[in-house]
Amino acid sequence: MGYRTHWIHESTTNMRSEPLLRVENLKTQFFTETGTVRAVDGISFEVYEGEIVGLVGESGAGKSVASMSLLRLVENPGEIVGGTIEYRGQTIFDLEDGPDGELREHPEMLSESEMREQIRGREIAVIFQDPMESLNPVFTVGGQLREFIELNRKLGSEAAKAEAIEMLREVGIPDPEERYEEYPHQFSGGMRQRVLIAMALACEPNLIIADEPTTALDVTVEGQIIDLVDDLQERYDTSFLWVTHDMGVVAEICDRVNVMYLGEIVEQAPVDELFYETKHPYTTALLNSMPRPDRATELEPIEGVMPEAINPPSGCRFHPRCPDAREVCTRVHPETLDVDRADGYPHRAACLKHDVFDAGYEESPPLLDDRGPDESGAMTTGAETDGGSETDRPTSEAEAETDRESGEHRE
Amino acid sequence: MSTVSSPDEPIGFGEMDRDVGETLLEVDGLTKHFQSDSGLFASVSLDLDRFPPVTFGVDRVEAVDDVSFEVKRGETLGLVGESGCGKSTLGRTILRLLDPTDGTIRFKGDDLAELSGEELRQKRSEIQMIFQDPQSSLDPRMNVGQIIEEPMAAHDMFDDEGREARAKELLEKVGLDPRHYNRYPHAFSGGQRQRINLARALSVDPDFVVCDEPVSALDVSIQAQVLNTMEELQDEFGLTYLFIAHDLSVIRHISDRVAVMYLGHVVELAETTELFENPQHPYTEALLESIPVPDPRETGARGALDGEVPSPIDPPSGCRFRTRCPKLIAPDTDEWTDEEWVQTRAFMRAVKRRTFEPMSATELEAEFFGGRLPRGDAGDVVGDAIELLATDRERTDSTPADDDRHETVDWEAATDRLLTSFAEESICARERPAYEFEAAHGDRERFAACHLHRDGIQ
Repeated sequence: MGYRTHWIHESTTNMRSEPLLRVENLKTQFFTETGTVRAVDGISFEVYEGEIVGLVGESGAGKSVASMSLLRLVENPGEIVGGTIEYRGQTIFDLEDGPDGELREHPEMLSESEMREQIRGREIAVIFQDPMESLNPVFTVGGQLREFIELNRKLGSEAAKAEAIEMLREVGIPDPEERYEEYPHQFSGGMRQRVLIAMALACEPNLIIADEPTTALDVTVEGQIIDLVDDLQERYDTSFLWVTHDMGVVAEICDRVNVMYLGEIVEQAPVDELFYETKHPYTTALLNSMPRPDRATELEPIEGVMPEAINPPSGCRFHPRCPDAREVCTRVHPETLDVDRADGYPHRAACLKHDVFDAGYEESPPLLDDRGPDESGAMTTGAETDGGSETDRPTSEAEAETDRESGEHRE
Repeated sequence: MSTVSSPDEPIGFGEMDRDVGETLLEVDGLTKHFQSDSGLFASVSLDLDRFPPVTFGVDRVEAVDDVSFEVKRGETLGLVGESGCGKSTLGRTILRLLDPTDGTIRFKGDDLAELSGEELRQKRSEIQMIFQDPQSSLDPRMNVGQIIEEPMAAHDMFDDEGREARAKELLEKVGLDPRHYNRYPHAFSGGQRQRINLARALSVDPDFVVCDEPVSALDVSIQAQVLNTMEELQDEFGLTYLFIAHDLSVIRHISDRVAVMYLGHVVELAETTELFENPQHPYTEALLESIPVPDPRETGARGALDGEVPSPIDPPSGCRFRTRCPKLIAPDTDEWTDEEWVQTRAFMRAVKRRTFEPMSATELEAEFFGGRLPRGDAGDVVGDAIELLATDRERTDSTPADDDRHETVDWEAATDRLLTSFAEESICARERPAYEFEAAHGDRERFAACHLHRDGIQ
């Protein structure tokens, strides 16, 4: 894996340079009839040049909302309510105090048209999970790619066509001249995903947000796509924010990882650290609950289900399911603090058991294990904020309704 | 109908005295073909480039083709494969939700393929199914109690009170609260709905449960809970599972034996450890290598398989994996050195998939053969193909010297020349492989559909 050694080699210079993308205390909320869903609740992370950063979590953790917030593509009833997003010194999102004491948009914040013309697609591109939904079924694949290049790179139609064919070849589509004329349904899932990657790369963006790009694909096809991304990443030096629920993919492709739980980043570390020096019980639990392809294992499921972001648990949000939870965890909400350093990057975790928190974890009595057997409280459900394809959906009638309302904006 | 047992009797027991290890299900030569289309003009196809332009005849999709295996009582047979390989069709055909085109399905001595009407309906109490999508497999207008009791009512088991008692007991067994008897499916999460499905399947006290991707729609932490529950239920009720999944990690965790499917064929069948530690079919090897391992220090590059699964409408002859197989056997029409065959095979595939830019003959020879073509007839064929592909080919006909390089390259003819001379001549294309041999771990026989085993070696 050449790219990783490459990255380690350059990591010292990267650290001195400014991050490509800096997110600080980002909060995105959905204002629904049943209450405010705090889908993303104060997350901070950076993406440096040429690295692949993972954003991992189960459905409902808020990872898709977080990634869409970066492009300001959150729609009603959702809204970014706080925090800062900076991309190469430009302000994508920031708020300041107005004269009347109300928060207002920072004057340096990019306008909607600037976002559309300068950032989206040009500087930051997106690849979605379902390539069928991202391509128009009634136009040819080549035509769509050509139009995209024409519009974004101001090329003439012939030049754009040549460029489109070149891009198709670049992403490993055999016989691109022929396939240029075909329609999306004539492509297999893997080939469609290659087309989307071609589209994302067409403007040579510096950052690509990949939202579960391989989840819908078969494992051998997933392997092909990941190899392709590895290869392209090395050649174009593009950074990736890789959103996924699959720890296997994370281990394979990411340089650094953010683990999300219920709207928060609970752990952030370089990938090797995350797997071998795990600092947050949720990450540990997630790793232990996965069956392994390389050895026979006992599964240790995480008790219960993720609560809803509408009314998250007090203190640490993971405490109702955490095997290490103590009394203090029900009261004190842990920030995400540096608990270690590795490879020149911080290892951050939001868990009171680490000394830096000094919250009296050691002295605090363990929680009595009065939690029921897995999932048996029927009304506690897999809460949702990112409308993923998984079926752990909100369930009471009212919740289902809000989900429908907001769901269509989120995907 | 079967004897009506008392609802007070603890469920699940009474199964345990039966022999573990006897063959419960034996599938032999099972085949399921579909007509690819239906409708008034489905059999008419129009192709203006051909003569005559209108042809008749329906395409046949060979979803499952001559599959044989057996399942022992109390074991879990994993059935794994990529989408479109026919694993769900196989599961459904065994249950007779689809009518088999050919073959037998012996379940406890009866051939399910022969049964129909009332006999089949009665058998269904012994075989149940759990589907992938826990959302759409539950009727949203029925409450949990009605859902679980419906199969019992259909098979005339117990009276109303008895069914209710059993439903409540089952709810508890699958890890739900019996007090939720009156709730509707929407009030449950995905994992819980899959538990309701389990309870419904178990209500008629089946011996055999076909589970079609039961955990693929669930989050990983929920998936682990459901898998553990399924294992507990298997022990308690003496169940036999056919567990269909695309996720090899899940299959490894739950299965006793594993069958790997590719394009309608079972290509390998072995005990789980044996299959994962010592795969004997190149497709299984490729599949295992392509699973992402949740360990960043596992640096072994992911061995991605080239190409795509061919269409089941016109599947490759012989071994169906041969068009992508990295170990395709050299045809015995020529004498090959290993190097010559490896180079020729790579060249043949590259031409077929058109993965390179047109170049001159010398460049092609250097690129694919290190400047030295294979000896003998094989070399001539390769030479012909290179001639067809080279940008500097000599034109004997009156083709105008086009300045568009792509026009002068005849991909199709070159592909055809190579495939008919080499790929079609390989034993892999001429015979369908099926070999049984001793396992390295354990003492059971294992099966691999690969001609590399034709001499009993490897």
